[in-house]
Amino acid sequence: MNLCLPAVFLPLLAAPAIGVFGTRAQGALANLALNVIVFGFTVGVFFEPGSGLIHADDLGMIFGALTSFVCMTTALSNLGFVWSGNEVLSLRRWRVYHAMCQVVLGSTLLGLYADNIGLLWVAVEGATIAATVGVSLSRTASALEAAWKYFILGGVGIALALFGTMLVYLAAQPALGPGLAAMSFTALGAHATKLDGSLLTLAFVFLLFGYGTKAALVPLHGWLPDAYAEGPIPLTTALSTLMLNVALIAILRFRHLMQANFAGGGGALQPGVFLLTLGLASLLLTAFSLSRRRDARRFFGFSSIEHSGIAVFAFGIGGPAAIFGGLLHMLVHTLIKSALFQALMRGAALRGSAAPGNYSFSHLRGMIHSNKYLGWLLGGCVFALTGLPPSGLFASEFIIISQTIQRDPYVSLPLGLGLVLCAVAIIRHVGPLVFGHAPPHTKHQKAGVGINLAGLQLALGFGIAFAMPWFLLNALSSVAAALQ
Amino acid sequence: MNLDYPLAHLMGGVILMCAFSMLSQRRLAAMITLYQVQALTLSAAAFWQGFAQGAGDLYLTGLITLVIKGILLPMGMRQIVQRFNMVRAVETAVPVGFSMILGVGLIGIAVLVVLPTTVSAVSLTREDLAISLSVVLLGLLVMTLRRNAIAQVIGFLSTENGLVLAATGMPGMPFVAELSVALLVLLAFLVIGVFLFRIREHFDTLDLVGIEEIERRGR
Repeated sequence: MNLCLPAVFLPLLAAPAIGVFGTRAQGALANLALNVIVFGFTVGVFFEPGSGLIHADDLGMIFGALTSFVCMTTALSNLGFVWSGNEVLSLRRWRVYHAMCQVVLGSTLLGLYADNIGLLWVAVEGATIAATVGVSLSRTASALEAAWKYFILGGVGIALALFGTMLVYLAAQPALGPGLAAMSFTALGAHATKLDGSLLTLAFVFLLFGYGTKAALVPLHGWLPDAYAEGPIPLTTALSTLMLNVALIAILRFRHLMQANFAGGGGALQPGVFLLTLGLASLLLTAFSLSRRRDARRFFGFSSIEHSGIAVFAFGIGGPAAIFGGLLHMLVHTLIKSALFQALMRGAALRGSAAPGNYSFSHLRGMIHSNKYLGWLLGGCVFALTGLPPSGLFASEFIIISQTIQRDPYVSLPLGLGLVLCAVAIIRHVGPLVFGHAPPHTKHQKAGVGINLAGLQLALGFGIAFAMPWFLLNALSSVAAALQ
Repeated sequence: MNLDYPLAHLMGGVILMCAFSMLSQRRLAAMITLYQVQALTLSAAAFWQGFAQGAGDLYLTGLITLVIKGILLPMGMRQIVQRFNMVRAVETAVPVGFSMILGVGLIGIAVLVVLPTTVSAVSLTREDLAISLSVVLLGLLVMTLRRNAIAQVIGFLSTENGLVLAATGMPGMPFVAELSVALLVLLAFLVIGVFLFRIREHFDTLDLVGIEEIERRGR
C-alpha cells in the first residue's frame, strides 16, 4: 500500500470541512488531530514508500517525516495561540486559517513526494495560495500589503517555474518520448545524459528563478520578511521552514539533472556558478541587513534567507559531501527555526499578545523574568542559529566550508565572511533577549502546553548532527551520493 | 494544403500583438479588452492544436480558457473598474514610447534565446515557444511598468496566457488541462485579492468617498 497518498490527500480533503464547520477550538483540535495522523502516515512511508506518480524516495521520506513532525509540534503550540484569543479574528476567518494550515501541510508533502515535475509545480502553487490567504487574514493594511507583495512575487516565480517545467519536458521529449515519462524525476534522472543540454540549461535558469523566489534567494527575497512579520505566527512557522525546503529540494533535483547532463557530455552548462552566485548574494545581503532589524520575526525571516542561501551554496559546490552538508543544514535549520518561532509565540503571548506587531526585540527582552524555562529555550534557539558549536548547524557548516576549501577555494573567503557577520549579528541579541531588563510590570507566568515539545525539537537540533541514527545517516548519504 | 503551421502562427502572432499593445494603453478598459481578445485567441489556438495533434484534453483547455478567461474574468474586472471608478487610473512609470522600445528589445531577446537552443525540436514548437516566451516577458514588463493594481494583474494574466500558449504547443505534454486549471485558481485569487484590497482602501478613507461622490455628481 502506498502510504504517501493518505499523507498527502487527508489534509487536502479535510481542509474544506475544517473551513466550513466547527468552532475556533474545535478547528484547532481537528488541526492537531489531523497533524498527528499525518505524522503517523509519514513515518509509515519509511516502510511503504509506494510507487508511481506519488511515491517517496529517500529524500522525500526524510523531509516528509520532518515536515509532518514540525507541523505537529506547531499545531500543539497553535492550541495556546488560539485559546489565548489574542489574535482577534471572526469565526469564519479562524476556520479559513485552520483550513489553510492543512492545505499548506498537504501541498508541502505533495511537493516532497511527487515524482513528476508538473505535480511538484502544482504543489508549490497550492502552498503559495494557501500561505497568501493565511498572511492576509488579519486584514490590517500592513498584512494586506505583505500578502499582495507575496502574491505578486510568488505569482511571477510560479509563472517562471512553469515555463521552466515545460522546457524540461521539451528537453526530455526526444529521449523519453511524449507522455508521463518525460516529466518523471526518476526517468529524467536515469536518462539525464540523453536530454537536450542547451534546452535544459535554459529550463534551469527559469526553474532557478522560479523556485528561487519560493526559496527566497536574493534578489527574489522581497516577500519573505513581510510575510513572516504579518502572518499568524503558527502559519509563519510552517512557511519559514517547510516551504523553503520544498523549493530548495526542487532546485537540488533539477541541479542534479543538469550536473549529470554536463558530466555525461550532454551539452548543458555546469549549474554550480548560478547556485554559488545566488547563495553568496543571499548570505552577504543578510549579513548586512540583519543588524538593522528591530522586529524579531523580520529578523529571523532574514536569518531564513541566510540559511536558504547557505544550502543553495552547498548545492552549488557539488559533490556528495557538500550535498550531504546542505541537506543536513536544511534539516537542522528546520528543527531549530520552528522551535524558535514557537518559543517566540509563547514569549509574545506572555507579554500580552501573540498578534503581529508585538514581536519587537525591545518588547520581548528579559524573557527569563517572565518564565525561566522559556527564557533559556529562546536563548538556546537563537544561539543555535548562529552555527556556533554545539549547535547542529556547526556540523553542517563545517562540512560545507571544508568542501568549499577543497573544491573551490576562492569562494570560501566570502562564505566565511558572511557566516561570521551573520553569527555576530545574531548572537548580539541572545543576552538582551534572555537576561535583559524586562519591561515594567512583568510577572513570572506559566509557559503553557506543548513548550516541552519545542524544547525537544531544539534538543534534536543540537543532537542530531553529532549523534545521527544510522538509518538516517545511511539514507542521507545515499541521497547525497545519488544527487551529487 | 496543410494549415497546421500558418494558423498556429497566425494565432500566436495575434496573442503577441495583444500583449504588445497593452504596453501602450493608457486606459484600463482598453487593457481589459485587449486581454479579452488575447484570451479568446488563445482558446481558439488551443482548439486548433487539439484538432491538429488529435489531443482531447486540449479541447478542455480551450473550453476553460474560453469560458473563464475569455468571458468571466474580463467581466469581473470591468465590474471592479466601474465600481471603484478608475477608468482612467493607469499610471505608467516610464513614457509609453520608451516602454515600447523595451518591449521590442524583450521580443528580440526571446527569439534570440529560444531559436538557437531548440534546433533539435520540431519547428512548430520552436516558433511557438519563441512567441510564448515573448508574451511572458511582455506581461512581466507590464507588471513592472504599471503602478495600478488592476493593471499589474492584467500584466500577470497576459503572462499566464503566454504560458498556456507554450503548454498547448508542446507535443503530447500530459497534464496541460490540469496545469491550466491550477493557474486559473491562482488568477481567481488574484482578482479577488484586488477586489478586497480596493474595498478596504475604499472604506478606510472616508474622505475619499466624499470626494468621489462629488466627482460623480460633477460629471
